[in-house]
Amino acid sequence: MNHALIILGIGLVAGPLLGGLAGGLDRIVTARLQARTGPPVWQPYYDVIKLMAKELVVVNGWQAFCVYSYLFASMLALILFVMQSDLLLILFTQALGAVFLAMGALASTSPYSQVGAHRELLQILTYEPLLFLVGVGIFLETGSFKISVVMQWKDPLILKLPLLFAALGYVMIIKLRKSPFDLAASHHAHQELVRGVFTDFSGPLLGMIEIGHWYDTVLILGICSLFWATGPVPMAALAAAAYATIILIDNAAARLNWRWMLGHVWAMGLALALVNLICRHQG
Amino acid sequence: MPIQWLDKLIRRARVKSPWLLHFDCGSCNGCDIEVLACLTPVYDVERFGIVNVGNPLHADLLLVTGTVNRRNGRVLTNLYEQMAAPKVVVAIGSCGLSGGIFRTAYNVIGGVDQMIPVDVYVPGCPPRPEAIIDGVFLALDRLSRPAKSSDRPPLKPVAGRSSP
Amino acid sequence: MRTSVIPFGPQHPVLPEPLQLKLTVEDEVITEAVPALGYVHRGLEALAQNRDFHQMVQVTERVCGICSVLHAICYCQGLEDIMGITVPPRARYLRVIWGELLRLHSHLLWMGLFADSFGFESLFMQLWKIRERVLDIQEATTGNRVISGTIRVGGVSRDMDARQVHWIADQLTWVAHQVRQIEPVLREDFTIRRRTEGKGVLTSAQARELGAVGPVLRASGIAQDIRQTGYAAYGELDFEPVTATAGDCHARCMVRLGEIDQSIDLIHQALDRLPGGDIRSEVRGRPQGETLMRVEQPRGEVVYYIRADGGKTLSRVRIRTPTFANIPVLVKLLPGIFLSDVPVVVLSIDPCVSCLER
Ligand code: SF4
Repeated sequence: MNHALIILGIGLVAGPLLGGLAGGLDRIVTARLQARTGPPVWQPYYDVIKLMAKELVVVNGWQAFCVYSYLFASMLALILFVMQSDLLLILFTQALGAVFLAMGALASTSPYSQVGAHRELLQILTYEPLLFLVGVGIFLETGSFKISVVMQWKDPLILKLPLLFAALGYVMIIKLRKSPFDLAASHHAHQELVRGVFTDFSGPLLGMIEIGHWYDTVLILGICSLFWATGPVPMAALAAAAYATIILIDNAAARLNWRWMLGHVWAMGLALALVNLICRHQG
Repeated sequence: MPIQWLDKLIRRARVKSPWLLHFDCGSCNGCDIEVLACLTPVYDVERFGIVNVGNPLHADLLLVTGTVNRRNGRVLTNLYEQMAAPKVVVAIGSCGLSGGIFRTAYNVIGGVDQMIPVDVYVPGCPPRPEAIIDGVFLALDRLSRPAKSSDRPPLKPVAGRSSP
Repeated sequence: MRTSVIPFGPQHPVLPEPLQLKLTVEDEVITEAVPALGYVHRGLEALAQNRDFHQMVQVTERVCGICSVLHAICYCQGLEDIMGITVPPRARYLRVIWGELLRLHSHLLWMGLFADSFGFESLFMQLWKIRERVLDIQEATTGNRVISGTIRVGGVSRDMDARQVHWIADQLTWVAHQVRQIEPVLREDFTIRRRTEGKGVLTSAQARELGAVGPVLRASGIAQDIRQTGYAAYGELDFEPVTATAGDCHARCMVRLGEIDQSIDLIHQALDRLPGGDIRSEVRGRPQGETLMRVEQPRGEVVYYIRADGGKTLSRVRIRTPTFANIPVLVKLLPGIFLSDVPVVVLSIDPCVSCLER
């Protein structure tokens, strides 16, 4: 019992802290790639603390409800992950959270946030099938959806499922809101939709979304690290390498539009995943 | 005791993470490109956690360049009113201070302070990016103090405001 | 199919300037675009009636902080035309140097904003980093980074010494080198081409009909550049207008890229041939008469109409700025494109709202 509580604590507290740290590192690396110095590592924490202390402006009561739900779903997904529960359950929980966020944006009447929410839903539509296939791939390989079983698996999954891992790359880019797929909301507000889905959230609500995003970041990096689950060191190394690659792509690509994203990610991602699965199944 | 500690933390966070909103209020672009230049590698204000969010709901700092006229004054007050407290305003350039070289033009009401309360004035035509960054820092000083809405003078009723 | 109206501006992070476009959007496709202007109108033309004609030079420089020197050059050339003043050759060459430096920084600035409009942040940062070097040259030679204030009726107010001439040449070599490194990205990068090629196509017939000017016109295959009329010292320098044929956003970017090289080349030529002598001739008396003067700005052709009645002040100054001529093009290009392409197409004409509304 005590053991479970400790793990719960780690998921709840260390999760977002790690996510914030990843965000801070991301900003520094991005700045260096852009010939700048960049903010201190703990900048994301300052941002969130400041946002939490700002005046609360709620455009619509729904918004607050949706943000709470989003945050709760993201927390739950990460807790389920650290408790090594069922992968499918985790995927559905985080999808639920993402939909809540889009719903919150739809609740306001601002056209920016409406269009942003519309795009967010399209993004969910784009990456969910891939994420599901990743789950299926892991299941076919290990014979279980349970993360505890995956963790016990001896061989690195990435050697067996390299193409599926590439497909997961697409999911990560979309989920972490990076170019070329930062359509619904980008980190820097230099796009046609201002801040997209985030446009009408402010102050503490935005702070909570930011914390939710930290949970999401850790969760998606965690799923990524399952592909080399032979010990904590290779797991961390794989996640870090994937994250660095994504930051690099973010800085070397323009933003594309959603029609292209839907077509390309489905065609390429699904093809990669299916080819990999079929090959494994045959062999 | 923990309350004081929390208060200190929050104030520190405010100083460390000012998000800015830039509004070009009838400027000649000279000041705007200097504000933008602050974001770029040579000056890089992200070192201090400053980012341009372009959305009044998220911003803490309002940077206004240029003179106020009847049409954009309404936009300016709207933006100001949409920003959540605590917020500070920095007026940039001679134009933002008083109307500058355009003061006597027929469609110019004057400086930014004719419309909204201004905390820091950055003179120059255009001010150098260093001066703008300095102005922003002076404004941060104000953010670090506890915010009370009674601190602020009410908006001045000026001809051209949408509603008094 | 929802129809909604998206107000693009007046405060929008993509366009630092308050240009408002009311976009009617149906499922992320623009069906109608109506520009709403007047946010920056100050009434500068009327200022000519209560400022002395020498003071007015400073006002014309502030029609737009980005094209500042070229506004002043156009205005001064107009007055020199009215008053029959010959400008000393050295001043004419210095005007070319400052004018081309301005074009250089303006195009780099535009290219950065353009990269930003399709979400290529790192390119924006790199281009603005290069631009800082050009601003350093401006600061060293004129005393100010952006608005220089060195142009006077009858000449210029500041000179350069031989040391500065060498230093400028060195710095420009560095700039040219940096731009050459970035060029393949702008030209070839897959995501950039994906976002700009075939977007906002303007045929040469349309360009002529709508009266487009500057790089927008040249990207549609029409080689028209007012510098070819040979004002200032352009008659004595070698250059050819840069053109492209596709007429889309990518072509406009390529034209401006070509003009960056051209400007650097022109400055090198002007520095090499810089004649000695006075920098300003004496201005006597009061202007009387009228004139129409044209100058090529980074954004296209600017036209000044000046009328003077022999008083200390001018009785009419009318400015037709390049953006004013390109707005009909923009209104024509926007319907039918995706919402995500709006910033790219809007920026591709390089709108300068401050010029447009004066
Ligand atoms: S202060 Fe000078 S540079 Fe700034 S907007 Fe006014 S005229 Fe332009």
